[in-house]
Amino acid sequence: MPVRTIDVRERVMAKNDELAAGVRTRLRAAGVPTFNLVSSPGSGKTLLLERTLADLGAELHIAVITGDVQTQNDADRLARHTDHLVQAVVTNGACHLDARQVETALDAIDLSDTDLLFIENVGNLVCPASWDLGEDAKIVLFSVTEGEDKPVKYPKMFREARVCVFTKMDLLAHVPFSVVRATGIALEVNPGLQFLYTSALRGDGMEEWYGFLRSQLRPVCAL
Amino acid sequence: MSVALEVCRMAEERLGWDALGGVVAVGVEVGDDAGVEPENLAFCLEAVLATPPFHGAKPVITRLPGDVLRLSYLEVEDAGPND
Repeated sequence: MPVRTIDVRERVMAKNDELAAGVRTRLRAAGVPTFNLVSSPGSGKTLLLERTLADLGAELHIAVITGDVQTQNDADRLARHTDHLVQAVVTNGACHLDARQVETALDAIDLSDTDLLFIENVGNLVCPASWDLGEDAKIVLFSVTEGEDKPVKYPKMFREARVCVFTKMDLLAHVPFSVVRATGIALEVNPGLQFLYTSALRGDGMEEWYGFLRSQLRPVCAL
Repeated sequence: MSVALEVCRMAEERLGWDALGGVVAVGVEVGDDAGVEPENLAFCLEAVLATPPFHGAKPVITRLPGDVLRLSYLEVEDAGPND
């Protein structure tokens, strides 16, 4: 049978980017700074958020959208620390969140009563780097139990991120990890990257993290 | 895999579900800085294109400089008008 060729020439992310732009407009109009937390699995995204919700919950109305391949365990953990909404998205096998899922999750969140929104992405340093969710910034977590060369192994994620939060700093005494070397490697990939050094378990560096979050708060934009 | 699934969604959007069985090849351009490993994408596409409604269409990955990630073309069986 003869074959005909149909020219498409369309960016694979075009539809997602269109939806993400809509999400971004909606969040900015509501004056809700939004951060997409990305990292490899087990880097401490949920613990960082647990501690943040527990410490800042009385001061700020923080909403969270969590993405997991299966289970809503992370959402359940976080919900114990806040009266505000924790919206779980189960991706059913997909290794990242997409803008359509965030758009749908936002429908359940009262943005007029929200000061700050976190999106806890699926633990994965590859695919989430390519999918815009409409966030203000990606924040990449980098635990000291990982290899110092993670930024050069996963350059796109570290290039896309605005902030790098080192986590599990309390374990530094037990692992052969140089924070100076890791920071230098990350800067080679993204010279504009901002760094924070934390242990959500022990509390180290959390005030600096909260200071960063407070600095991102903004009044509602006039429409 | 997410990129492979998105490519298939785009093919469906372009051709309609019923026509997907006639897809023979799917051309995708992948930039060196796209954050996508061409061999992995080819593997994932091959797996998805082997399942209905597709009938074993062939992924054709073209590497390019830059960060392009684009569905370039679709090759489909051309049934043509009935005689």
